[in-house]
Amino acid sequence: MLLNREQSGKRWHLRPDGVGKVTGKLQYLTDMTLPDMIHGRVLRSSYPYARIVSIDITGAEAMEGVFAVLTSKDVPGLNRFGIATPDQPVFCEDVVRYVGDAIAAVAADSPERAARALEAIRVEYEEWTPMDSTEAALAPGAPVLHEHGPGNVLHRTEIKRGNVEEAFAACEHIVAETYYTPRQMHAYMETEGGLFVPEENGRLHVYAATQHGYKDRMQLSRIIGCSEEDIRVVSSPIGGSFGGKDELNVQPYGALLALRSGRPVKMHNSRKESVRAGLKRHPMKIEMQTGISREGMIQAHRVRITADTGAYATLGAPVLNFCTEHCLGPYSIPHVDVEGISVYTNNGVSGEFRGFGGNQAIFAMEGQMDRLAEIMKMDPWEFRRRNMREKTDPGPLNQRILGTDGLSQVWEAMDRSELWQKHQHLPADPSLPPWIKRGVGAAIAMHGAGLGYGIPDPAGGRLSLNAEGKIEVAFSYEEFGQGLIATLEMMLCDLFHCSTSDLSIIIGDTDRVPHSGSSTASRSTTMAWMALQRLQTPFRSKILSVASTLSGIPADELITGIGGVWRKGQLPPAVTANDTTIDSRVVVSYADLAKDGEAEEWTFDTHFEYPTTPDNVVGGHYLYTYAAVAAEVEVNTLTGEAKLLDTRHVVAAGPVINPMGFIGQIEGGSVMALGFTLTEDAVMQDSRYITTNLDTYLIPTIRDIHTHLEVEAIEELPEGDPYGPRGIGEIGSVALAPAITAAIHQATGVWVNRLPVPRDQLIKPLDVPLQEGVNRS
Amino acid sequence: MSEPLENLWAAVVNGEERKLQIAQSTRLVDVLRTHLNLTGTKVSCEVGRCGACMVLMDGEPVNSCLVMAYQCVGSEITTIEGLHGEKEDELHPIQQAFVEEGGFQCGYCTPGMVISTKALLDRYPQPSQEQIETGLCGNLCRCTGYGGIIRAVRTAGENCVSSFTLITGEKKVNDL
Repeated sequence: MLLNREQSGKRWHLRPDGVGKVTGKLQYLTDMTLPDMIHGRVLRSSYPYARIVSIDITGAEAMEGVFAVLTSKDVPGLNRFGIATPDQPVFCEDVVRYVGDAIAAVAADSPERAARALEAIRVEYEEWTPMDSTEAALAPGAPVLHEHGPGNVLHRTEIKRGNVEEAFAACEHIVAETYYTPRQMHAYMETEGGLFVPEENGRLHVYAATQHGYKDRMQLSRIIGCSEEDIRVVSSPIGGSFGGKDELNVQPYGALLALRSGRPVKMHNSRKESVRAGLKRHPMKIEMQTGISREGMIQAHRVRITADTGAYATLGAPVLNFCTEHCLGPYSIPHVDVEGISVYTNNGVSGEFRGFGGNQAIFAMEGQMDRLAEIMKMDPWEFRRRNMREKTDPGPLNQRILGTDGLSQVWEAMDRSELWQKHQHLPADPSLPPWIKRGVGAAIAMHGAGLGYGIPDPAGGRLSLNAEGKIEVAFSYEEFGQGLIATLEMMLCDLFHCSTSDLSIIIGDTDRVPHSGSSTASRSTTMAWMALQRLQTPFRSKILSVASTLSGIPADELITGIGGVWRKGQLPPAVTANDTTIDSRVVVSYADLAKDGEAEEWTFDTHFEYPTTPDNVVGGHYLYTYAAVAAEVEVNTLTGEAKLLDTRHVVAAGPVINPMGFIGQIEGGSVMALGFTLTEDAVMQDSRYITTNLDTYLIPTIRDIHTHLEVEAIEELPEGDPYGPRGIGEIGSVALAPAITAAIHQATGVWVNRLPVPRDQLIKPLDVPLQEGVNRS
Repeated sequence: MSEPLENLWAAVVNGEERKLQIAQSTRLVDVLRTHLNLTGTKVSCEVGRCGACMVLMDGEPVNSCLVMAYQCVGSEITTIEGLHGEKEDELHPIQQAFVEEGGFQCGYCTPGMVISTKALLDRYPQPSQEQIETGLCGNLCRCTGYGGIIRAVRTAGENCVSSFTLITGEKKVNDL
């Protein structure tokens, strides 16, 4: 189904957080203030790599209006954080490893005074030469950044099967290419920050963005040296994250400053500080050799992935796992030899980012597919079909996965599409000047959801009828813009035929929600759906049985609806209106039901794990979504500018619960991928950022986007599929880059192997015939 | 000790005269967010690139991170809090269109985006694609991919035209 407002009909659901956002009345956590609050700031390293000789804070401490000055000596608990590997110091003790490293923090009665106090802190360094590349960090004799080496290796991966050497020897054609991808920045519009409030009862309230409040609470308790229950984390609403706020950022500083000063502390990073200290997408070098038989069947695939993970681990290892898994694409390949390495350097910290290493892998693998198809003089889409995995084939890591028809469906839908058909007969446009060239390209992807085998991935939720007579649902998921609250509303209205005014949705507050895992890895929608499937029956039974007792009508003649319980057959067609008046036909209202019995009797919990493959393959996924993307691109060969004219995303992710949210996620992911492909790179020189703000780090503006973009959803799942709608937070962002570079190739003959696409590669003298296969690295 | 008289700042903010004793080098974004607690105006890049802090200054859209207090003394400032429908508790047609078309996700760019749209539609009630791109290219959105925003601006254009005609009509009657 082509997704748009018209097609969606009544499913076009207005977001409950919309009015607050368009009026500016919604308070983000960085907008919060308290009358007696003070302002926190962090002193960050002057060098990317140095030994700290001494730190003198006496000047700052003596300043008027300064309430606290902290260094590593003031961390009561563990002076480290990190979701997977806690190796990042809250405050550096002896060595700094990147320009975002924190040395000290201050809290003062105004932001200006806090800034002046930072200037008064004297730090003496012994500057060392930074390892500004993976090559430098892997060179023999290179200094070692962390004890948990070996050397500067954070993590290694491999997939080996068959006999690659023999298979290559028997291949008819082999394509070898090295792909480079940029250090992309999340560029969420709201930078990191929040309010940290010591409460009178001794607890600490943390109002700061994260994708996993419980994980923040655990890490903060470890740093502070208190119990987790002593901390409350409120973590929504969030002004964008895309993976970038999953790790702690300002939270340790705000928390420690608040506890030391005994006053609420406000933190809010400037954009420059956000760039300097924040996570980025892993820059990767991916070397690929792929060999095919005379018939065009892939026989052998050798891959070497090198990821620059920067100064600290964060999720560098899982990202590399994901990249390794996805660099085989959705193809059936008998002989495989993949090795990945994630390397510590003195560059900015790389971590989690929408697509999670899939973007880099899919760009490379799909690039290989187009090059091979060209050697075969075969239609690139047909070449893909020949090599595609069967529904029942094992996954990329030879693990059992849940088979769906998603892959063939997205392939077929794209094959039929007008945009892709253009590829065959791209009409020459005589009105265009000769330096404007057009091409069409396409790419396909399978993308795993959930954290993968062997990694704790708990899920769950709570459904209750609260004292006010609202159907209340509570999850530890976060609203960072994706439209989770709207999706939950729609799921609940579908299940209980009720109105949005019957609902109370609670997320993002560790005091009020159960532990149901993180909002990452395209998992929230699926997990919320599965939780509600488990909870609905006991919840509904309880409601109907109490309603039956109160009304004397048999429970099997009753049904939940708007405002309360109805007689079956009397319930009007489902609406999601905000009507709060109770229809006189309501047998028992929810409010009256709630008065019957104790709160616990009306509360239902569930706990389960995200579905994983039964095979012992760490990181291997079980549920995948599938997507095909086609792109028509216009290249100006005088300026090297590429412009995306037309794009079509076909996504197979099961039933579309929330069309507005679905379109928004795919469009937004697509434009983020456009930036990844054409303009975005957080450039570092000698391990310092050159692009320090949004005036030089160029994310797409409204002028730069696709002239036309269509989203087609394939909603079919196998009959009786117990997992329901799959998350689509990432799938829109993973396959556009290879579609664009394929289109650029058709337009200009240039095979692009580096992102963002270097303009100088596309600038061509008019009178020189274009050469194929030209690459400059 | 009271602030010196030269630090008296006064402007009309959302139709109300506001006076503050602040340094004249204070940025307008801080005047609004910190001193007047109007946090609907967002702060993001602080170099005039992203448009999150866009407000109307005497009807013109400006990045409030680039305007100093002394530059807007006596001005009429409209922030997102100053925008509403015919009644104060109703949405402005532009805001309504953003809600209906899904012209936002995280919403952090939205106040600035709405303000820029207001300035655009005041000038071009039914803007062309080119005019929309020019009018909004100073506002970055990282979530939506701009699709929903463009649809919202078009819808708002249609809605605003009808209300615009009405007002013009009344005015004509008065003029007669």
